[in-house]
Amino acid sequence: MNEYLQSVNAGYFYLLVAGVLAFITAICVLFLVKSYKAGIKIGMDKKVLKKTIMASASFTLLPSISILLGVIALSGTLGVPFSWLRLSVIGALQYELNVAEMSAQSLGMPGLSVSGLDPTAFTTIALIMTVGILGGVLYCIFFLKKYLKKLAGKPKTAGETGKKSFGAYATTAMFIGLCAAYIGSYIGKAIPREDSDVMPLIVAAIAGIVMSVFEFFIRKKNIRVLENFSLAASMLIAMAAAVGIAAII
Amino acid sequence: MNNENITVSEEISAEQQFFNEFNNGLHKLGKISLIAAIIILVAVPFIYGIVNGVSVDIGGFFSGILRVGIIYYPVALAEFLVYAPMLGVGGSYLSFITGNITNMKIPCVMNAKDIAGTEPGTPQHEIISTISVATSAIVTTLVIVVGVILLAPLQPVLNSEVLAPAFNNVVPALFGALGLKYFLDSPKIAVIPLLLLTLLCIFVPSMINQTSLLLLPSGGIALAIGWFLFKKNKL
Repeated sequence: MNEYLQSVNAGYFYLLVAGVLAFITAICVLFLVKSYKAGIKIGMDKKVLKKTIMASASFTLLPSISILLGVIALSGTLGVPFSWLRLSVIGALQYELNVAEMSAQSLGMPGLSVSGLDPTAFTTIALIMTVGILGGVLYCIFFLKKYLKKLAGKPKTAGETGKKSFGAYATTAMFIGLCAAYIGSYIGKAIPREDSDVMPLIVAAIAGIVMSVFEFFIRKKNIRVLENFSLAASMLIAMAAAVGIAAII
Repeated sequence: MNNENITVSEEISAEQQFFNEFNNGLHKLGKISLIAAIIILVAVPFIYGIVNGVSVDIGGFFSGILRVGIIYYPVALAEFLVYAPMLGVGGSYLSFITGNITNMKIPCVMNAKDIAGTEPGTPQHEIISTISVATSAIVTTLVIVVGVILLAPLQPVLNSEVLAPAFNNVVPALFGALGLKYFLDSPKIAVIPLLLLTLLCIFVPSMINQTSLLLLPSGGIALAIGWFLFKKNKL
């Protein structure tokens, strides 16, 4: 294992991350206990409250395992502890990887890869990933109270009455733009010329094919449970294929 | 009859008053918790830097955060505006600090709401939503803790040279899978940006390694097409 990977997988780093997660979990426990007690106080049925806890816990189990697969996917470049932290709080796999890639480029690297990383680059990338994801948290701190108060007096919004507002489409559109930029760059990179590399396009194509198989079973056969795994499993299968392809070419 | 009505309305007002106080308490607790969490999270890269005797590349940081912020802060704003009313007070504070909102917290809250039969905006929904998000976040943390403990002995394998091509291509794997999903969901929005960006990267090779810059025009085009189709009721 090289020096960089040793540093991002060091024992103290595990302890540091465990401490941060313990703090955030304590906040969750505090909110849970306060809300449970408030529910009882306003006359809600204990059975309903307990059922909510059980249902939410069981509902979360499968997606949590898919997040764990995401930790594996990230750990090869950013180490286990930081991947563990990033995917346990605030972020999500698609954000983390994209921002890590953008951060690596802003440091002059062609992209995120173990060979180009060192402790300085990691520190900077980790800070960009952390600060870059704080938008939602900052909006909550500064605007949540006013926003919800304003909504409380208003008739139901489009989102609440069932019709999607443009906000939902806007996020999808932004992500489509993001995917288009990356897929376009992989196609450009695969064109035979100096520095060309066909591997990213092959890996993206395999991930897309596997994802389309999942989508077939989810949409046509209505096996909804696969939604929890489709992204992480498609990625891991494509990444495994990259190992095989690299051995051949 | 009149006395009964007065008693019922007094009870409702007492419940509402308790609930308003409860919500104000959650706002206070939420703000303090989130500020403390921000400080701790931002400290992590610095602590790593101090231990390893390195510091943040300031120029790289500002260049990176500009590229990232210009995309993700507006996305976070859209998510905040859309999801906060569904999540309520406690649910919002917890969801935005624990993450995985779209793929986990929102479906989890919707599921809990159906089970408990509550409506957004009511005190009951506020409580169900907070309990649901808190439980979900705790379970996720526990599952990942167990996973990480099991993962630790596999580290030499994960970091071996043989597996390097897999981890060096994790980003293409993500966008291949994610791209297909989004393109299938909204092909009308996807076609033009995909075509334009592909042509650009084929004919201007210097753009290939500048994907983070390309995200802006690409996202802008997709957003404009989405807005146009939304206005025409064609989404």
